[in-house]
Amino acid sequence: MSELLSKIAECIEFGKINKAAPYPPQMKGQDGADELTRQALDEGIHAQDILSKSLMIGMEKVGIKFRENKVFVPQVLMSAKAMNTAMVHLKPFFLSGEVKQKGKFIIGTVEGDLHDIGKNLVSMMVEGNGWEVIDLGTDVKADQFVAAVKEHENAFVGLSALLTTTMVNMEKITKAIKEAVPGAKVAVGGAPVTNDFCKKIGADAYSPDPQGLVEYLNAQVA
Amino acid sequence: MKGLELIRKVFALEEVERVPWVPFVGVHGGYLTGIDAESYLNSSEAIIQGVSKAVEEYQPDGIPVVFDLQVEAEILGCFLQWAPHNPPAVVSHPLSEGTTLEDLKIPTENDGRIPLILEATRTLRKKYPETALYGLITGPFTLALHLLGTDIFIKLYEDPDEVNNVMEFCKNVGIKMAELLMDAGCDIIAVVDPMTSQIDPLSFETFVTPFASQIFDFIREKKKLSSFFVCGHAQQNIEAMCNCNPDNVSIDENIPLDYVKNIALKKGISFGGNMKLTVVLLMGNEDDVREEALNCLDLGGKKGFILAPGCDLPMETPPENIKAVTDLVNDPYKQDVVRTLEKQDSVLEVFNMKDYGQADKVIVDIITLDSESCAPCQYMVEAVKRVAPQFEGVVEWREHAIKKMEAVTFMSSLMVKNIPTICIDGKIEFVSKIPPRGELIAAIQKRINQKLKLRIKSKRSEILILGEKEECRELKSVINRAVTELGKDLKINYISDPNQMATFGITKGPAVVTINYKLKSEGTVPSLDVVKEWIKEL
Repeated sequence: MSELLSKIAECIEFGKINKAAPYPPQMKGQDGADELTRQALDEGIHAQDILSKSLMIGMEKVGIKFRENKVFVPQVLMSAKAMNTAMVHLKPFFLSGEVKQKGKFIIGTVEGDLHDIGKNLVSMMVEGNGWEVIDLGTDVKADQFVAAVKEHENAFVGLSALLTTTMVNMEKITKAIKEAVPGAKVAVGGAPVTNDFCKKIGADAYSPDPQGLVEYLNAQVA
Repeated sequence: MKGLELIRKVFALEEVERVPWVPFVGVHGGYLTGIDAESYLNSSEAIIQGVSKAVEEYQPDGIPVVFDLQVEAEILGCFLQWAPHNPPAVVSHPLSEGTTLEDLKIPTENDGRIPLILEATRTLRKKYPETALYGLITGPFTLALHLLGTDIFIKLYEDPDEVNNVMEFCKNVGIKMAELLMDAGCDIIAVVDPMTSQIDPLSFETFVTPFASQIFDFIREKKKLSSFFVCGHAQQNIEAMCNCNPDNVSIDENIPLDYVKNIALKKGISFGGNMKLTVVLLMGNEDDVREEALNCLDLGGKKGFILAPGCDLPMETPPENIKAVTDLVNDPYKQDVVRTLEKQDSVLEVFNMKDYGQADKVIVDIITLDSESCAPCQYMVEAVKRVAPQFEGVVEWREHAIKKMEAVTFMSSLMVKNIPTICIDGKIEFVSKIPPRGELIAAIQKRINQKLKLRIKSKRSEILILGEKEECRELKSVINRAVTELGKDLKINYISDPNQMATFGITKGPAVVTINYKLKSEGTVPSLDVVKEWIKEL
């Protein structure tokens, strides 16, 4: 069982989607995340084990490599795509409750900001680490965030901004969320955002890379 | 020498007297003239006014005509969302929404906002013949991303042929745009390709290099200059960017300037950047800006370096901040001043020594390297050690060996420059030479006498007798007798003016007020906290 799980983890790490996928070249012709996940389920491996002992391990490895500038956006997206392919097989077990996710994470780019590459990357990494992600999209206003926080109890919130001018909206949104749901935890990120800024606006967490956010979230529910 | 002539020299990697300065004024031009980003980027008149204002205020050696990476995308069918304080953002990607590459045509001089950009270029060319005009074009990878959306990243692996076809088209768009801008009068074409920061060197070489290189070759054939702009974390690709053979690379604060300098100069390419846009230029004050600019100037050096912000200036960047850069660039003396101040600041922290040595005891501090390993230090410490007991506890002495950080701070706080040095009550007394016993005793004694004098002087008192002469007669004689019997040296004064009496809260005499004068400091300005303590005693 462990060999199969580590093979799937490898597919996630290197972005091998399925047998037909040409990428990565060194895994050409081999089974990908798609086939191997199916096979694991057929062999009776628990969906929960596939998620936590293989998919999450693979995503974590990619997250660390991304942080260390060893891989870049395209490779992470390939890993995320491989992850999603595997998730298709696991979805029924999520619905039946056999697989438990760590918690909920609400994310969106803040009001006025339409740049979503960073946000998408973060949601894929967070999802790949066993969280349910509620993606509110781009240009999300304070009341939309507040409504989502009220709807999804105990969910964490992530605010993304690429521009210096939209970054200032983070403060307004953070305040609105904390006013509506005092215990809510808000994480901020994006190119111009810094830890000082995070503290200044009263947000709870900042990370320069997605993996840092994943680690923060995991620590909150550990 | 200035302007285009100076920039040409830098591009040719010749040593220059002064580093050229190119503020990347984009929608900030609208801010200078009081209009929003959308109106600004849609009017040649507004652009001409904004850039003219920037040229007059900032005296740049070069300046972009327009800084907007959405011009080509808009013509090719990307929907733009406009904002008042930013360039527009692309919100739709035609090639992932049903449009095919065959449907797209290379823009011409009549399409979209190209006519107004060309008109602005021609007017500014005539108006400022000596200033280098930068014509900006969207880099092929960034344009391809506008057209394909983020699908492009996955397609690098899943459909490399399609990516190559789109890149080929984007390169042709770039060449056309470069040609139009050069014909209208731009001296330097900047290929701005920020999205390349998101990919690895191998992907860069596979999908960007072949196309970007052709654009730079084309610009060179037309005998104009080129620059490759990138923003974001693109450190991994700097070498690959240089290999595309532009005349210059320009980067932002995410990449260390010296890193780029090393690679670029080795490849015979000039470089530029990378003043911090947000934290310094937008949010900082003029001092922060000067420090940042100087840091870039010192790192960049006078060969092959152009001082510029990391990217397009945020719209509301305070003009004073940009002017501070202009002043600094043009004034070597100011650079020296900032450099000196910076050095002082870098001595971590300095203790506040203003009120040091005002206590009853006399403090002797010996600043040494380490009396155990440095002979002169050892003798100096011994000299003090031998003399101190003579003063029977009045003199305290300490050694500060600067091998410890705390001692270094103490040393600079006392403004001590040499080792070893003896300070008495915080004042430098003996530098480098070991004082003979007599001299050391005399110096300490002098300080003790000073303090004693101070104490005696501080014991002055006064008694005020308030009231009409008649009603105070008895009181006066009682006080006089008391003073005589006690042998006190004090002044007796009379106040009979009702107004003056009222300031003491007295309406009718006789009354007595005693005043104790206490000398608290002499020859120095005490700090606020110390004065507060004195006031609390009252």
